Amino acid sequence: MLDALKSYLTAGNTPGEAGSMLWATIYILVITLGISLAVIAMNWLERKILAHMQIRLGPMRVGPHGLLQPFADALKLLIKEDIIPQEADKLVFWMAPVVVTMTAFTTFLVVPFGRTHAVTDMNIGVLFMLGISSLGVLGIIMAGWSSNSHYPLMGALRSSAQMVSYEVAMGLAIVSAVLMTSLKSGTGTLSMIGIVEAQNAQQTWFIFKFFPLGFLAFAVFAIAMIAETNRAPFDLPEAESELVAGFHTEYSGFRWSLFFLAEYAAMLAVSSIAVTLWLGGWMRPFPNWLGGATWDMAFSFVPALSLFVLAGMCLLGALRMPRIPQMRIQTVGLAMFGSLLGFVGLVLLVPAVRDRIQDIFWFVAKVAFFMYLYIWYRGTFPRYRFDQLMRVGWKVLLPIGLGVLIATAIVGLFPQLTSVMAGVTQ
Amino acid sequence: MSLKPLLRKVFLVDLIKGLKVTFHYQPPSQAITEQYPLERPVIFERFRGQPRLKVDPDKGNSLCIVCNLCALACPEQLIVVKGERNPVTKRKEPVSWTYDLSRCMFCGLCAEACSTDALELTQDYEMALYSREGMVLDQAALERGQEPVRYVK
Repeated sequence: MLDALKSYLTAGNTPGEAGSMLWATIYILVITLGISLAVIAMNWLERKILAHMQIRLGPMRVGPHGLLQPFADALKLLIKEDIIPQEADKLVFWMAPVVVTMTAFTTFLVVPFGRTHAVTDMNIGVLFMLGISSLGVLGIIMAGWSSNSHYPLMGALRSSAQMVSYEVAMGLAIVSAVLMTSLKSGTGTLSMIGIVEAQNAQQTWFIFKFFPLGFLAFAVFAIAMIAETNRAPFDLPEAESELVAGFHTEYSGFRWSLFFLAEYAAMLAVSSIAVTLWLGGWMRPFPNWLGGATWDMAFSFVPALSLFVLAGMCLLGALRMPRIPQMRIQTVGLAMFGSLLGFVGLVLLVPAVRDRIQDIFWFVAKVAFFMYLYIWYRGTFPRYRFDQLMRVGWKVLLPIGLGVLIATAIVGLFPQLTSVMAGVTQ
Repeated sequence: MSLKPLLRKVFLVDLIKGLKVTFHYQPPSQAITEQYPLERPVIFERFRGQPRLKVDPDKGNSLCIVCNLCALACPEQLIVVKGERNPVTKRKEPVSWTYDLSRCMFCGLCAEACSTDALELTQDYEMALYSREGMVLDQAALERGQEPVRYVK
C-alpha cells in the first residue's frame, strides 16, 4: 500500500497515465475540495472587489473584513427551507442542479495544474472539456423547463440560445490554437498537457504566436467564455432587473447554492482552458527573457513570497483594526489567519514542496487573473440587449474567429508554401 | 462609418476607458460607506434633531416662560404646555410639558417661535425606541435629553 503510494511520486506523470487508481482518487478529492474552496474565496473576493469598484466597503461585519461571510451564507443556505413548487416537474427539478454541478466539476478531470498535477492526460482533452461543459446547458434548460414558471423558462431559452451561438466562436478560436500546436512537431494535439508542452517546445505562449493572430484568437475566446458562463455583461439569462434570477428563480436553499457552485466552477473551468491554450498553462512567466538556473531558482520562491505578502497584509490589517472590545476577537482571528498563511508560506520554502508546488501556483495565479477580470467586467460594463448579444456573437466573433483560423493555417504553412512555390517557379 | 469611430470600436477604446475608471476606484480608503456604530456622521449645526428644553445654567430653572408660542406654531399640534405664575419671582413656570415625538416632523417651527430660545432642536438623532409610549416626552425628558436605546446582546 505504502509502496504503491510512494512509487507514483517518482513516476513523473499523471495518475491516469501511471494507472494508479488510488492517486487518481486522491487527486479528484483534492481538486474537488480545492475548487469548492476557490468558489468560497471567489464569493468573498467578488463581493469585496465589486464593492470597492462601486466605492463601497462590502461585507465587513462577519469576521474581520467579512472574511467569514461566505461561510455564514453557506450555513444559511444549508438550513433554508427546501422548496419544490407544486406544479414543478419534480424529478427534472431535482436533477437539474445535479446535472449542472456534475458537468462543471467533471471538466476538471483533464485540467493540468502541472505536468504531474492532472487526474489524467486525455488525448482528446480540449474536446472533452468543451463537450462536458456544453452539457451544462442541458441542466439549465431542465431547470428552466421543470420550474413551470415564466421567468425561469425565459431565462433558460435565452441561456441556451446564447450558449449555442457563442460556442461556435469559442470552438473556432480553440481550433486555431490547436493548429499552432502542430507547428514544430508536425502533429497537433488535443491533449491539455500536450498543448502546454507544445508551447514549451516552441518557446512561446500561443497568445504571442504570429502576433496578432494568437492574440485575436485569445480575445475571441475571452469574450466567448464570458458569454458561455452567463456572466456580466452577457448575463441576460439571469438578468436581475428583467427576469428576477432567470433559470434558478424557483430554486432556493441548497439547490440554489449548487447552481451557484456550478456557475463559479464553470468560470474556473473555461478560464483554465484559456490559460492552458494561450497563456502557457503551468509554465512560469518570462522563460526566455529571464531564463537560466538562477532565475528558475528565483521564480521558485515566488509562491512562498506571495503567501508572505498576503500574511503581511493580514497582520497589517489586524494592527489597523479599531481598538474596541467588540472587535477584539476579529483582530485576534485576523492575526491568526495571517500567521497561518505565513506558516503555509514557510512550508512552501521547503525544496521538495517548492519544486512540486510551483507549477500549480503559476496555473492558479493565471486563473486568478481571469477571475479578477470577470469581476472587473461585472463592475464596469452594462448588460447587452439580446439582439446586441446575438449580433456580437454571430456578426463579430464568428467572422473574426473564422478569419483568424484561416490566417493561422496560411501563416503556419508559409514555409512549406514558399518551398512549393520555389519548386513551381524553377 | 467614418474611420475614427470605427477604430474606437475595433480597439474597444470606450470599454477600456470604463475599465480604467472602475480600476481607480478600488482603494478602500475611497469608500464612502460609513461603519455606523463605529464611525459617526458629521452632523451640521443647523440639523434639526431631538428637541431639548434649555435650563438656565446659573439658576437651574427652566428658560421656558409658558408663552405657548411653540404650541401655536406647531403644525402637528403635538406640544402641550401648562404653567402657572411663580408668586415669588412673578415668572410663569411650566407645570407640565409634553412633546409627542412620534408625530414630530422636525420642521423646527417651534424652536423658531420660542421667544426665550428655551426650546431647541439639537443635533442628536438616535431616537429610535421599542414602543410608541416612550415617544411622548415630558419636561424632565426634554431637559435631560433622551438616551439612545443601546442594543445589548
